[in-house]
Amino acid sequence: MKGIGFAYALHMTGTPIIVAEGVSKTFGANQVLTRVSLPVMERDVVCVVGPSGSGKTTLLRCIALLETPSEGRIVMQGQAISTPGQERPVKAAARAVRSDIGMVFQHFNLWPHMSVLENLIEAPLRAKKMPKDQAIAIAERLLAKVDLSDKRDAYPARLSGGQQQRVAIARALAMSPKVLLFDEATSALDPELRREVLLVMRQLAQEGMTMLVVTHEMNFARHVGTRTVFMDRGEIVEEAPGSAFFDSPRTERAQRFLQQFEE
Amino acid sequence: MFKYQFRWDVVSGSADFLLSGFQMTLIISAITLVLAMIAGLIIALLDMSKFQPARWLGIGFGEIIRNTPLLVQLLWVYYVLPIVFGVRIEALAALIIGLSLYQGAFIAEVYRSGIQSVPRGHSEAAQVLGLTPVQNFTRIVLPQAIRMTLPPLASNFVQLIKFSSLGAVISVSEITRRGMELSASTFRPLEIFTFIAVVYFVICWPLAMGIRLWERRLQAR
Repeated sequence: MKGIGFAYALHMTGTPIIVAEGVSKTFGANQVLTRVSLPVMERDVVCVVGPSGSGKTTLLRCIALLETPSEGRIVMQGQAISTPGQERPVKAAARAVRSDIGMVFQHFNLWPHMSVLENLIEAPLRAKKMPKDQAIAIAERLLAKVDLSDKRDAYPARLSGGQQQRVAIARALAMSPKVLLFDEATSALDPELRREVLLVMRQLAQEGMTMLVVTHEMNFARHVGTRTVFMDRGEIVEEAPGSAFFDSPRTERAQRFLQQFEE
Repeated sequence: MFKYQFRWDVVSGSADFLLSGFQMTLIISAITLVLAMIAGLIIALLDMSKFQPARWLGIGFGEIIRNTPLLVQLLWVYYVLPIVFGVRIEALAALIIGLSLYQGAFIAEVYRSGIQSVPRGHSEAAQVLGLTPVQNFTRIVLPQAIRMTLPPLASNFVQLIKFSSLGAVISVSEITRRGMELSASTFRPLEIFTFIAVVYFVICWPLAMGIRLWERRLQAR
């Protein structure tokens, strides 16, 4: 596949953790993705940018196994985990790696009937069958990391949007995922609350977390991202390492897109 | 001027007779409550099924039940089912079946809207974190849905108890029927039906209040 070869050329080192291979997605007559290929290497911070409606979120949802591709497949460490037919071995493989893929949503999606701590330990307890004291210890360490130790017993409704999103990041980290997906994680936040979330994301990137970030934060993509992927109308139009995309976009579509941010 | 001479001894003198009707009302209500909640769950699951024929069955059944009068349904169950199946159904069984299905069809809507009121993202988050579909439903969706469901469920319970009085029409000896019989022999409908109205209120009101309190306690969190 052409797209993959291209990306490997860009990133000769490292192994791909998760790969979208020729993924297309249609909803009824609406073609949202057209044969998109995107490998994510270990310790990569891939930022996906592009106008709204370009299919970024759908691509992320396919990789998170929330949507089934109409064509192509999702491969994790050499094993297909999502195919159009969702055959039995594929489903089994998907179950096996389910908790290796973490996701942070635009609207946080914390569970409102559980306290912050309960939100964090629920999946380790139920999905990993972890002993409770161990799950709590991990949760408390992660809450300290996102600077929310004092909110341990609060309910999500009492937290600001920025705090909720930091809890959501901690909740995803509690499963120790190998790759963390961010779906416009700061888009629902007021500008002054975005910073605290972006700081946590930046810290994770520096610690070597593999991240796939759909975002409108061009500064984050430019300064934190190791690779920028520009999508438009369901296709990957341009792909460049780090800030190169912003300094010298090759395609006209990318140039037009970036111009909006210059004013 | 209101010169009516109250004769409450008509009520107190037949206390045992009325009490047996009261007992019957309680039994019918309790059994029907349980059956209606189960019927409601089955209809709701059919409604939300991914299997289209099941969905049609659930929706079609629900629409027919919800859009015909309960009294007609009771008469239908009592008089028509025996013709169709060739078995004589007792009035009590007919009332319990008819009322359970009727209230079940409404409770199904309550369940469905409760479950659908839980944002999709909450169960998507659980899915991504590796919870199984069953864990997702019981741990994430259901606790939130129950909260949304309590107030409408309470009003359904109260309605169900009140509707059990329609059993009187097919001669089920619950309290309203007892009252009709007593009033036919004593010509004292005013005392008798006033007393019966108070009895219904005394059952229904605490139930409605209790659930309202429970709801408030859940919301306080």
